[in-house]
Amino acid sequence: MAPEEMGKVTYRMRLIFAASSLLFVAVLAVSPVKDLLREWKHYKRGYLQFARTRPDTKRLTADYRPDLDQIWIPEMNVVDRCASCHQGITQATLADGSVPQPYRAHPPIPHRVREWGCTPCHRGQGVATEVAEAHETTLAWEQPILPGRYVQGACGSCHHDARPELPKLNRGRQLLADHNCAGCHRLQDIERSVMQGPDLTSVGTKVSREWIYKWLKEPRTVVDDSGNVKVNGYETQESPRMPQFRLSEQELHDLSAYLSAQRSHPVAPYKFSGAVVAKWGKRPDVTDQGELRFRQMFCSTCHSLAVTRAGETKLIGGEIGPELTKVGSKVNPDWLAAWLLNPQGYLAHSKMPRYEWSEEDLFTVTRYIETKLTDSDLLSNVPQLGAATKEEIAHGKKTFSEKGCASCHAVGSSGTQKDFGPDLSALGSKNVSQLEFGKSTIPRNLSSYIQAKITDPSSVNSAARMPQYNFNAADLEAITTALLSMTGPPATSALQKLTIPRGNPQFQPAGEFARIYERYQCADCHKFNGYGGDLAPDLSYEGSRAQRQWIISFLKNPQTLRPTLTFRMPQFNMSEREAAVLADYLSMVMQSPDVRQEAVNAKELTPAQAALGKQLYEVKYQCQSCHTIGSGGGYVGPNLNNAGNWLKPEWIAAWLSNPQALVPGTIEPHRTMTDGEIKALTAYLMTLRQSGGKAAQKQVAAHGAKAGGNGVAGQ
Amino acid sequence: MRHRSLLLLCALAILPGIEGCHKAAAPAKPDPLRNAYDVEVDANDPTHLIGLSYQQAQGKRVFYTNCVWCHADATPAGPSNRSNLTPVPPLMNDGATLNGVSDEFMQSIITLGGSAMGKSAMMPPWGRTLSPDDIKAVIAYTRAIAQPAYQPPARAASPYSREAGPGPATK
Repeated sequence: MAPEEMGKVTYRMRLIFAASSLLFVAVLAVSPVKDLLREWKHYKRGYLQFARTRPDTKRLTADYRPDLDQIWIPEMNVVDRCASCHQGITQATLADGSVPQPYRAHPPIPHRVREWGCTPCHRGQGVATEVAEAHETTLAWEQPILPGRYVQGACGSCHHDARPELPKLNRGRQLLADHNCAGCHRLQDIERSVMQGPDLTSVGTKVSREWIYKWLKEPRTVVDDSGNVKVNGYETQESPRMPQFRLSEQELHDLSAYLSAQRSHPVAPYKFSGAVVAKWGKRPDVTDQGELRFRQMFCSTCHSLAVTRAGETKLIGGEIGPELTKVGSKVNPDWLAAWLLNPQGYLAHSKMPRYEWSEEDLFTVTRYIETKLTDSDLLSNVPQLGAATKEEIAHGKKTFSEKGCASCHAVGSSGTQKDFGPDLSALGSKNVSQLEFGKSTIPRNLSSYIQAKITDPSSVNSAARMPQYNFNAADLEAITTALLSMTGPPATSALQKLTIPRGNPQFQPAGEFARIYERYQCADCHKFNGYGGDLAPDLSYEGSRAQRQWIISFLKNPQTLRPTLTFRMPQFNMSEREAAVLADYLSMVMQSPDVRQEAVNAKELTPAQAALGKQLYEVKYQCQSCHTIGSGGGYVGPNLNNAGNWLKPEWIAAWLSNPQALVPGTIEPHRTMTDGEIKALTAYLMTLRQSGGKAAQKQVAAHGAKAGGNGVAGQ
Repeated sequence: MRHRSLLLLCALAILPGIEGCHKAAAPAKPDPLRNAYDVEVDANDPTHLIGLSYQQAQGKRVFYTNCVWCHADATPAGPSNRSNLTPVPPLMNDGATLNGVSDEFMQSIITLGGSAMGKSAMMPPWGRTLSPDDIKAVIAYTRAIAQPAYQPPARAASPYSREAGPGPATK
């Protein structure tokens, strides 16, 4: 270049300068343009446009800000930006199904969406600002959004208690407990019960080798492909207990040999007294008498039998104990008598109450079971197995431990083994990369994995030892939900404060009451301070509710108070003394702090009050729509014919003023009554006595007639 | 016991379907999904299940706890109390009767009881037993199962009534 041209700006240089400036501006512009085109901004602008099409635009856009919406919950370590796109999530007017996503409102739930955000319930990645990253599995984020049908699983990771709003989760937890999943797996909130399956220490004295073979091949309760549970071919609502293991013919031979050789405590035949045998031994109606006593003792409250009515065979009876239609062909008669006399002598943790048997009852009932509850074809498809050889027994013992039988069944003094299967107590927080899918082609996510594992354990792991469960679609969903809720212990102490622990009620009485309580297994059906079964009334406050004398006569001859109930309390044939001990304990200990004895003085209740109470009962409050007095009235509440002998007046008064305070969740409506009305109704109910109270009732009737029409109209 | 009651519950759910068709349709094979709270059997097609929203599902739960005894022909415990009562209470899915009743009236009669609203005193007040949300949920459930189907009242043409709020939006 010549020196005179040095300072001269050529056209070419200008061009280069202009081009590079333009390029520079363009490069500078990339970032703002990219920012402008972000996915979430697109939805933000879209929301504004969408809101303009709605009649309430102003309200919908009142909170609108053009930047990211973020919810931060430090306790849960949640940063949630979902509302940046889900703009209308709290707008009640956008709840309609026609509103396009992501602008639709969340349906009303107990948690405020603005406070809790989305990810605590729906999981997914809260900090993400792109649709795919927030919702799906990506390389950097392996916890996709929980499908809507499992959302109760997320509720369960904080709510360890059983809430009625979460039926699917509760059902799943129930199924996990019922199927003894805790026998092999460690599960969050579901502990191993004292007895998973029966103790097999002396099973050889109870059943034959052939029966064991049949049982192992097809357990009593079988679930067919459509999820229907069948017992001996009859459909039942019971949940199956012993699962079906995939056992080879050889394993069946070995296991049945090993188990039938377990006879640690041989049973001696029961010696009936000569008088009973002489009286009943030859009578043709001995089984009829046995059946009658079987019914009168209300064995059917816990055990079902197949009954044929109008050509249709159905199981009738309860589900606490096993179905007994063919039990006579199953058990050894000597074992049966020993069992009925003392169930806990054979199985320490059996739920069966120890009845007070008379010789005659025991004789006739065992005869009935041995001759009527039988099926000659029960073992027809079982090969003749003969006596067990030493070799078979040794092999059987090995198979027993290899198959994990010892997780649920104890043999000898060794007890059961824990943790045969993998620990599942934090399954719900596992990442996809931690799961082994094997050769299966199922979608790569946690819920599909859990379902595949339960429906066919060998599909994801050919060496799986887990037995086969045939759950129906609904139960499978429920179990998956419950497993997804198990996220292990909270990661931070702050999160621990947010979790609602599961109540763990215990009831440990002492003394003479405890002995009788254990004997009749009261907690199988009744609840005591939150502990016990659901079949029968909660007895936590029975001492405040019922009169001692009534409790005694009820225990000696239980009647049903509710006409709709098909189950009745069994007749244990308990002695006067036992009934008195139970009644004393209930009266003294099982009391409600809300029922004060001095609140109502029974002696001060006048016939005039009772007459007013009768009118209140019949006209103003129309209690007869649910309760029966005499022969008229409804079926919903208990029959009040004997209320005066049954209930304590202070209980009636406290109950009428607030029933839910005494029995949470009871369906008796909480009404607004004045103290005078409560006294009047109490006075009336206390006159209702089935025996000996006729005079008092007549008095009320006479008084009521006198009072005539001027009673309630002015109330 | 619990399972049996659920079975009855599903029988109840099928009943209106049979009645609605006025023919003796054979009861469909019991599907355990019917027992779940978040679905309801389609009254016109017993094999079809309708999904319920969270609120409707909560309503179904409240219904089966408190209302089913008198407002259904079968109950979890077996016989219904409905036939005992005079006047006979309406079935909860009886759209012909209940579709014409406003949500506000339903809310009031459930909260305050029948006698407060000039109806039978046999309907007790539930306002101190159930929460307002429970009662709203029951109404939502009633609307979801109504036969014939419930149509929300058409909004009037007034510019105010198109607003969802209780009064005219002046904002």
